[in-house]
Amino acid sequence: MKKRLTAFLLTATMAAVLAAGCRSGGTPGQAAQEQAEKEKDSVVIAMGPTSEPEAGFDPAYGWGAGEHVHEPLIQSTLTVTNTDLTIGYDLATGCTVSEDGLTWTVTIRDDVSFTDGEPLTAEDVAFTYNTVKEASSVNDFTMLDSAEAAGDTTVVFHMNRPFSIWPYTMAVVGIVPEHAYDSGTYGSNPIGSGRYILKQWDRGQQVILEANPDYYGEAPKMQRVTILFMEEDAAFLAAQAGEVDLAYTSATYSDQTIDGCSLASYASVDNRGFNLPAVPAGTDAEGRTAGNDFTADVLVRRAINIGVDRQEMIDNVLNGYGTPAYSICDQMPWYNEASEVEYDPEGAAELLDEAGWKMGEGGVREKDGAKAELNLLYSAGDSVRQALAADFADQLGELGISCTVEGVGWDTAYDRALSDPLIWGWGAHTPMELYNIYHTDGDTGSARYSPYSNETVDAYMDEALAVSGLEESYELWQKAQWDGTAGVTQEGDVPWVWLVNIDHLYWVRDGLQVAEQKIHPHGHGWSVVNNVDQWAWS
Amino acid sequence: MRGEKQYSENRRQSTILFLIAAAVILAAVTVSGILLEERGMETDFSRTNLIPSVQYLFGTDWMGRDMLARTLAGLSLSIRIGLLTAVVSAGTALVLGTAAAVLGKKADAVISWCIDLVMGIPHILLVMLISIACGRGFAGVVAGVSLSHWPSLARVIRGEVLQLKSAPYILAAEKLGVSRFDIIRRHMAPHILPQFLTGMILLFPHAILHEASVTFLGFGLSSEQPAIGVILSESMRYLTTGKWWLALFPGLALVLTVILFAMLGERLRRLLDPASAHE
Repeated sequence: MKKRLTAFLLTATMAAVLAAGCRSGGTPGQAAQEQAEKEKDSVVIAMGPTSEPEAGFDPAYGWGAGEHVHEPLIQSTLTVTNTDLTIGYDLATGCTVSEDGLTWTVTIRDDVSFTDGEPLTAEDVAFTYNTVKEASSVNDFTMLDSAEAAGDTTVVFHMNRPFSIWPYTMAVVGIVPEHAYDSGTYGSNPIGSGRYILKQWDRGQQVILEANPDYYGEAPKMQRVTILFMEEDAAFLAAQAGEVDLAYTSATYSDQTIDGCSLASYASVDNRGFNLPAVPAGTDAEGRTAGNDFTADVLVRRAINIGVDRQEMIDNVLNGYGTPAYSICDQMPWYNEASEVEYDPEGAAELLDEAGWKMGEGGVREKDGAKAELNLLYSAGDSVRQALAADFADQLGELGISCTVEGVGWDTAYDRALSDPLIWGWGAHTPMELYNIYHTDGDTGSARYSPYSNETVDAYMDEALAVSGLEESYELWQKAQWDGTAGVTQEGDVPWVWLVNIDHLYWVRDGLQVAEQKIHPHGHGWSVVNNVDQWAWS
Repeated sequence: MRGEKQYSENRRQSTILFLIAAAVILAAVTVSGILLEERGMETDFSRTNLIPSVQYLFGTDWMGRDMLARTLAGLSLSIRIGLLTAVVSAGTALVLGTAAAVLGKKADAVISWCIDLVMGIPHILLVMLISIACGRGFAGVVAGVSLSHWPSLARVIRGEVLQLKSAPYILAAEKLGVSRFDIIRRHMAPHILPQFLTGMILLFPHAILHEASVTFLGFGLSSEQPAIGVILSESMRYLTTGKWWLALFPGLALVLTVILFAMLGERLRRLLDPASAHE
């Protein structure tokens, strides 16, 4: 008992002293500056502990792909996404698709070798794709039937169904060597043909990458990249102590200053938004509770969409580091600008009145004796989502919708979200995300994450996948969002309300030139080092 | 002689005064916490991260919640959980301890084995496991804490009852033909009661601390609830940015509450224990 009391007291005191001490720190940054002068071609980066790939650097087990897409660095990919999120080539030299969309033919460079000296051939590419199709648990490869090599530099992909955005999938699959691939050991000892070689990996601590001297493209400027995995507060202290050159951080710390560092903010499509179940309460095909009587009314969903002040949310919760979100794919080539709405509280009130929800006692709207109530869910432990949910609840309260906020674990969140709005985070470099969110899932009669289904929207997305050209498909993805009469925007069904895109914040050591960043996808991790080879010290 | 008498009266009186004062303070905290719960959960982004001032004695947090209201609401919740779990644990301990002592060798072996089993697993681990199995939240914490805190008291009661069973005055009563029920009521209960009561009150600080720690570790109450464990774990994120008041005041308040309960139990024991009652 006594020991525990003392421990509690000591912790409190220590924490206070620590905090006070940090603020009056002497000349942090010096150590790193001295070090930087010695080695102008290395960089130390702090990332969150969840960025460490659990299964190692094996593309078949999620490296580079999955929920948080980024370039695999150690391996090469066939295609890459450009800064404007269109498609460019890495290994590929050409890419064609048959009329029916079922056969993709990709030609590749003939001057590429793996870091063990063996040349990279079409056989390796075919092997990689057949392997990831079998093994990948994080990416969907059901559209691929098989890959085969036709000669040394030509790969043919046979598809099960047309998939026009296949180049976006090719941009995240790192090519592994057939002769040196063992699914048991490859993750911790990867051999690739990319810009960097894995030099050292201390699990739970750090990853050291060294430039590949035989890289076929432009030689990396950064010869050595060290990535440390640490919690946000540790990363902040490390940046303060001058131990790291670039450290991830969040809006919580944005009002702090660090000598020798500046705060860099990169735009992202890392959005947050609530799903609004679009059917009345009941049970779904699997017998789960699904639907919500209040949000089932499209007028209510529209009122919520225009009744929320996104900029206020950004100023309050994100300290200004964010942009209003109107869709899951803001600023992507497949984004439809019709998604944008103006903040209009009067309009929202009118819509609610029109829906029959009249202002009742205590500022809460009522209809036929029922009160306008919502239980908003957020994933417990995520303080930004919690604050966004609280702000959203406050704003809905002003509209006359009484909200409670509840933290849930991810083990139950997916099922709970079928009937109560949950705050989600999405944003990826592929239009497939629109499909995952809005398209009716198989024969369940409803989209996967929130009850909703619209045949017109489904048809556009099916068509978008079936056409042969990417440009053409972008247009169809846009129509799926809004075609003038139907869609998922304000005038349409609004099954989700999007709130903000969270800027990704980093402490950057003075003198470090971080190359221009693509719009960051969801996940505050590896995407910042996508082009670490082009970074430089000045 | 006179001086000694004076002294003993003073001790007894001051103890009773202390008990009343402590009980009043704890009751006040509990009631004010219940009344302030709404206020403690109210977010207002126009007043975020304020340092303690006259208006907000404990400051405000990153969502503009009044930390004084949150702390009181959290303490109140902790005390209520402590009350519930202590009563449940003590009840379990009384039933099992007595059963082990009077129901024969086999029952004793089974119950003693259970006691050893539960005591053999580190408390915090057991609380976490049970809490997760019961779906976390209020139910999880109450189940976790009450199912893990009964063994030591059960063991004490078992020992007392065993000892009493063979005490000469009980044996004499039996020989005189007093009924079993009367023996328990008139001879055993008055002896067990003080042990039981102090045991129960001393369970409070344990229960409160374990509730706070399991919540702190993220296996207890949900993060939107105003619980001390939640407040402390949240404040950890902000310590590095110099927001000391988020951890300091709630932490101190928790420590004070726990100390108050511990002292309450200790004084009560002295008062009720025949060996020290007349010191």
